[in-house]
Amino acid sequence: MSTAILAARNLSKSFGPNQVLSDIEFEVHPGTAVALCGENGAGKSTLIKLMTGVYQPSSGHIEFCEKTVNWRTPSEGIRAGVAVVHQEFSTLSALSVAENIFLEALPRNWLGLIDRKKLRENTLALLTSLEIQLDPDQIVGELSVAQAQMVEIAKALRTSAKVLILDEPSAVLSQQETAHLFKIINSLRSKGLAVVYVSHRLDEIFEICTDIAVIKDGVVTSAGAIKEYDHQKIISAMVGRELGDIFPDKAKYPTDEVVLELKQLRNSSFDHAIDLTLGRGEILGIAGLVGSGRTELAQSIYGAKAASGKVFLEGVELAKRTPSKCLAAGIAMLTEGRKTDGLFGNSSVAHNYISSTICKGANSLSIAPELAAKRSAKVVAQFNVVVDDLGLPISHLSGGNQQKILLGRLLENQPKVLILDEPTRGVDVGAKAEIYRHLRELADQGLSILVISSELIEVVGLCDRVCVMRDGEMVATLAADQISEDRIMSIAASEDAPQVDETAVLQLAGGIA
Amino acid sequence: MINTNQQSSSAWLGNLARAVRFETMHWVIIGLIFAVFALGSFGSERFATLTNIFNVQDQLVALAIIALAQTLVILSGGIDLSFAGLLGLLCVFFAGFNAQDGETLALAFAATLALGAFLGAINGAITAFIGVHPFIVTLGTSTILTGLALLHSSQPGGSVALFFEDVAYARLGGVPYGFIFVVLLYIFTAFMLWRSNFGIRLYAIGNNEAAAKVSGVPVKQTKVLVYMLSGLLASLAAIYMVGRFGVGDPRAGVGFDLRSITPVIVGGTLLAGGFGGVLGTALAVILLSLLANALNLMNVSSFYQWIIEGVIIICAVSVLVGRSKK
Repeated sequence: MSTAILAARNLSKSFGPNQVLSDIEFEVHPGTAVALCGENGAGKSTLIKLMTGVYQPSSGHIEFCEKTVNWRTPSEGIRAGVAVVHQEFSTLSALSVAENIFLEALPRNWLGLIDRKKLRENTLALLTSLEIQLDPDQIVGELSVAQAQMVEIAKALRTSAKVLILDEPSAVLSQQETAHLFKIINSLRSKGLAVVYVSHRLDEIFEICTDIAVIKDGVVTSAGAIKEYDHQKIISAMVGRELGDIFPDKAKYPTDEVVLELKQLRNSSFDHAIDLTLGRGEILGIAGLVGSGRTELAQSIYGAKAASGKVFLEGVELAKRTPSKCLAAGIAMLTEGRKTDGLFGNSSVAHNYISSTICKGANSLSIAPELAAKRSAKVVAQFNVVVDDLGLPISHLSGGNQQKILLGRLLENQPKVLILDEPTRGVDVGAKAEIYRHLRELADQGLSILVISSELIEVVGLCDRVCVMRDGEMVATLAADQISEDRIMSIAASEDAPQVDETAVLQLAGGIA
Repeated sequence: MINTNQQSSSAWLGNLARAVRFETMHWVIIGLIFAVFALGSFGSERFATLTNIFNVQDQLVALAIIALAQTLVILSGGIDLSFAGLLGLLCVFFAGFNAQDGETLALAFAATLALGAFLGAINGAITAFIGVHPFIVTLGTSTILTGLALLHSSQPGGSVALFFEDVAYARLGGVPYGFIFVVLLYIFTAFMLWRSNFGIRLYAIGNNEAAAKVSGVPVKQTKVLVYMLSGLLASLAAIYMVGRFGVGDPRAGVGFDLRSITPVIVGGTLLAGGFGGVLGTALAVILLSLLANALNLMNVSSFYQWIIEGVIIICAVSVLVGRSKK
């Protein structure tokens, strides 16, 4: 076997007291593609940032071409020949395609001025060689997300890179675009390029990679040739448990009592009127592609979006709904964007927890300063939240712990109906399992729960009944014994549906892995 | 596939410097300029005369230079509030040379430009390397420099060679030298934004600093450079002001901190950085100067001018916000 071109030796990294990576051994050889797997927060992105000079190691070192290197900035890594497509986009929406690709390597004339003509020619040549069809002069802000991702990939491949690191490159690509990307990767690999491929999609890993390394909690738990692995083996190395352990049992006490009823609800995002009932203690899933109207349906029930039609809670009509009225009546909603409209990122964990029930437990004159901490200590214990100090800004917590605090915050309102939009997005598998268990316990205690999710496996594993939406229409309701991934997907992305978004299908199929 | 030949010319024209690309906003400003022109012509017979137009050109020189500096800083995602103190100090400093001959004048020029660039670089260095928000850094330096200028001379003082004053007042076929200089400065800046690495870096940093950093853009150096340029341009404005007044006024910069931002915002440059350019600023400077001039000639109290300027700012930003929501 050839020698490694890029390797991590005994690599550790801590941020303050948090040890993110410890004693990582990782290598990639020319002409191979190594899959880097792990849950969210396992340390994959940190490892990549260490190997590209964005971060510096706390101990251990990086070897490039068998020499110890100490890159202080990303540009040093790029210059040496390590190209990277970051998970968070590094394309600049204000610049043109050409400027993005050749940023910091813009062709210049003898006066040091940018040679615009040559820039255009070079860009066209590169794009043509990669079979990417884009206008070099177009502003990237005007491109679709997938096109911007292609710009990002072209940018990474602009230099004669020896190593190409792709951090979840296919997350925003359609099936066709992903196939195209794989073609590019394979042809580059045959020319001796070493590839590191980070993805949550196991099918892709088996298709494109030759080797694999699995990280769990900052430690490499398993590594070897991909042919020695199957799905189950990767997942257990990532999670440390079997898939079946993640979901709790279904409803123990099904009832016929209707808690929430929608009659002829409709708005501009779902223009076919929807009738729906939600039983006491039931977990009802709403499946469908992104853009099928799921989120808008939830927002309409909760009064965050205007809609015509009627909503009844325990037989009483809720007219002129607003979020605050719904909350008071007993409907609480978890939004899909934790950072955008869920958390108060700069506020403390405790203040986030009490933010929708600030005065609860306080006397009529003032809110005792220690009340917030006292109240939130309870939820921390109940949901097993990992937090050093309740006074820390909530943005310091991991996604799973943030989500537990948000869930606890909603429960403080003592809702009868809980609407959860993507309850486990960006949450690691361990915390997911805990959240599922709590949801089932709550349902068994009589809470009715509406779950919207793009993760098919979540809908299948958690819900008692599943409604499927397609293009703003409720097209099917599946009873417990009818729920399966295949069935939901074939309904959600039915052939006769006019505009099926392939990206969304892929996300749907991505599942928990 | 893309048709290369057909695209190259049209795209080049369409893109001809992001910095001067026409946006809807620019047409709105041009429309407003015509409206002000109509208003002025109707309200005062002295308004629509060549003499008056040349006067307006004279009056806008200092603001135009400072607004250009502010445009660069805002494009990079920063802000420079140091002009109030900086201009005052630089005026006092330049006039303090009492340059009466060519040699001292050249020295005064060089020293003033160097001082402006140096003070700007300090703003940039504190912002870039310590990470203090530029709003706070430049507010702080402005206060310090105001104090220093007043310590040096609490009243306007110093002097400058008469022949330099003559240059500051000189005209070429009626057009003030100062105005011609400003036009050239704007064209040069637009060109540099389009054709220099620095220009592209400026947009990149203002657009998304983290992304620029992982792309290898030397973010800190670029930031220092842009504040340095801002200081350098402030020196030019200060030298011009001393030329016009004949003395160095420590209070010459009062109000320029906020007045420099108005044309940038009205001109359509995004306060968050990354989008916009010098064409919008140029048009906005013309609009605001014409408006002030017209209202003056119509004997409208300057208090009303403030109110109108405020309304224009809010309307301009409302248009921008409305556009970005689409």
